[in-house]
Amino acid sequence: MVYTHKHPALLVIGVIFLAIGFLTAGGMLDGLIATIGARKYIGEMIWLGYILGAISLLVGLWHLFGTHREGNLDYYLSTIAGAAFIMLVAMVIRWYVAPFVATLSKAMGPVMGDKYLHQVLGLNYVVLGILAGIIIVNTIGVPKWAQNGVRLSRLGLKTGVILLGTLYSLAELQQLGKLSVALIGFFVLGSVGLVLLLGRMRGLPNNMTGVLSAGMGVCGVSATVAAAPVVKARAIDIAYTIGTILLWGVGCMFLFPIIGHMLDMGFVQFGAWAGTGILNSAQVAGAALAYQPDGIETLKVAEIFNITRVLFLPIIVLWLALWFVRREDNGERVNIGQVIVQKFPLFVLGFILMFALSSTGIFAPPQHYKGKYFDNNIPESKLLKPEEAALLKAELPKVQREDRKAALLRLIDNRKIMSREDDAVIRGLNNAKVLSKQANKLLKKAHKAVRHTAGKIKAFRQWITLLFAFGLTGLGMQITMAAIRQAGGQPLVVGGIVGTLKAVLSLIVILLFVHETI
Amino acid sequence: MSASCILLASHGTTGARAAEARALAEAQRTGAVVMHLLVVPSFWADIRGDDWLNGGPARDAFSTYVEDLLASEVEQEISRLGKAARATGITLHSHVRRGQPTQCLLDFAEDCLPQLVIIGTPRRKGEPGYRSRMTLEKLARGLNAPLLVVPRQVEQPENDSPHE
Repeated sequence: MVYTHKHPALLVIGVIFLAIGFLTAGGMLDGLIATIGARKYIGEMIWLGYILGAISLLVGLWHLFGTHREGNLDYYLSTIAGAAFIMLVAMVIRWYVAPFVATLSKAMGPVMGDKYLHQVLGLNYVVLGILAGIIIVNTIGVPKWAQNGVRLSRLGLKTGVILLGTLYSLAELQQLGKLSVALIGFFVLGSVGLVLLLGRMRGLPNNMTGVLSAGMGVCGVSATVAAAPVVKARAIDIAYTIGTILLWGVGCMFLFPIIGHMLDMGFVQFGAWAGTGILNSAQVAGAALAYQPDGIETLKVAEIFNITRVLFLPIIVLWLALWFVRREDNGERVNIGQVIVQKFPLFVLGFILMFALSSTGIFAPPQHYKGKYFDNNIPESKLLKPEEAALLKAELPKVQREDRKAALLRLIDNRKIMSREDDAVIRGLNNAKVLSKQANKLLKKAHKAVRHTAGKIKAFRQWITLLFAFGLTGLGMQITMAAIRQAGGQPLVVGGIVGTLKAVLSLIVILLFVHETI
Repeated sequence: MSASCILLASHGTTGARAAEARALAEAQRTGAVVMHLLVVPSFWADIRGDDWLNGGPARDAFSTYVEDLLASEVEQEISRLGKAARATGITLHSHVRRGQPTQCLLDFAEDCLPQLVIIGTPRRKGEPGYRSRMTLEKLARGLNAPLLVVPRQVEQPENDSPHE
């Protein structure tokens, strides 16, 4: 079969990207960019516009005028059209639509404390990208020439997770690992057990209960896909379960950030909650980026939880297989080794490899903390202004601890943080929220001024953001209303009970026991 | 009404079985051939949705599993209806299409040019089944043959077949 479509679309996409790069570089879009408040993306519009434009143009010419024969080259090159289509949607949203929405929202004034509407609703490039994907697939549909490449979004997300491995410190990974194993262990096993119990109480068939428990407990659609053949799920069970999970996942992606903002949750708290409480793993990443679009601290926490969930998957599949064999005559004996090999997520090995490489200092000196290093040789413009120092001085009496008082005094006197130790103490003071919001903002500003990101780590951060934007927009293009509409029957009832319990209980546990550090 | 070709849309639900009974009775009375259309709803192509954590082997196993399930359901339906037709000496041809039920029926009607189209009533609220149904208005506008919507028989035994 020949996969390439002789279609000019990719060529047109190439021209659009090149035009964006060229017009931005030439300053011809300055007025528009200033109006929508998208200055920070100017660099990206130029270099990414040129790169994507050149690739799309060349491959687009080949698609249109080349002679295509069945084979690997045809298959792989055919995917470029879909990938470029996703990138075009994702980047138009990132560069123009999301900044415009933010500008409009800011013009309306704060709606919750000092937060604007777009911040409360999480209307940033990630959520808008997923929404755009969902709207496209459910209205005009993904064009035929792009369909083969849309599946590449999975590769984009997995690559994003692998690169994320470069951004963790060993201590951070240990802390988050312990936290995620404890929370995920409790809530995954708890919700799988609860679905099995509710299923028995309501007299549901074992196939339905089995597939639903995997979907509700572990990682949503992915777990359903992995468990369905093992518990011999019927077609109707699969349709109901996946519909229910998609409905919940998409709903939670919008609801969680709003609740997070209402409760003023920290990045670690929100990442842990999203990673535990949201049923579907794709929407965990979406919610994390919705909560913190301009940084990836929340995503880092949420993805550790996602990875822990997916590591639980082979265990849960084995549990369900054994559970099913005990209850059904047609249950087949499972080959434990085969299940582990088939269900083990290989990309997690890539994540571990990147973490290990990062720990050797290949990307940044090993003494860096979370990919950042301390250097207080900063220009005058980065120092606190005298009136800002005066504000901090006025709040000095609020500080009780001697080490914090001393570090703050040094900051006030020098208008910058003076040592790595002081920086740690100032971060602690900020997290303790002893001072006013305005003063805390100044502490953050002072912290940011002396913390610098290594060039390679900065590049990784940017690539991770782009890969997630690409992956999530592409996944949005695979969420159809026809599939969501299948939500129903007993899975919707049981899923509703278990999903709500999991979200509420995990929120309570996290608010009580998980404390923020930056 | 005399009909040399009756188009019957059925996927074995309670409502559709009433349509089957009526189509077979009508064919017996008029000597018409029954063209049976069975639609596999297109949402199955998207049902894997946003799964991204699984590797190729797990996804392939799922796809094969679902395809086998659907194929087996289709086979059972075709065989059941075929048996009923043979028992009454009626000529019945079954056709399987994948897509939106309404569009599939309209396309199929264009191909086989029936004198009568027979369908059942939609699934009642709360009954198990897929949410993938015929749009009567679109059918009424698009069909060139009379459309008969057969009400379900009250005494029809409840059936938990999932299809609409």
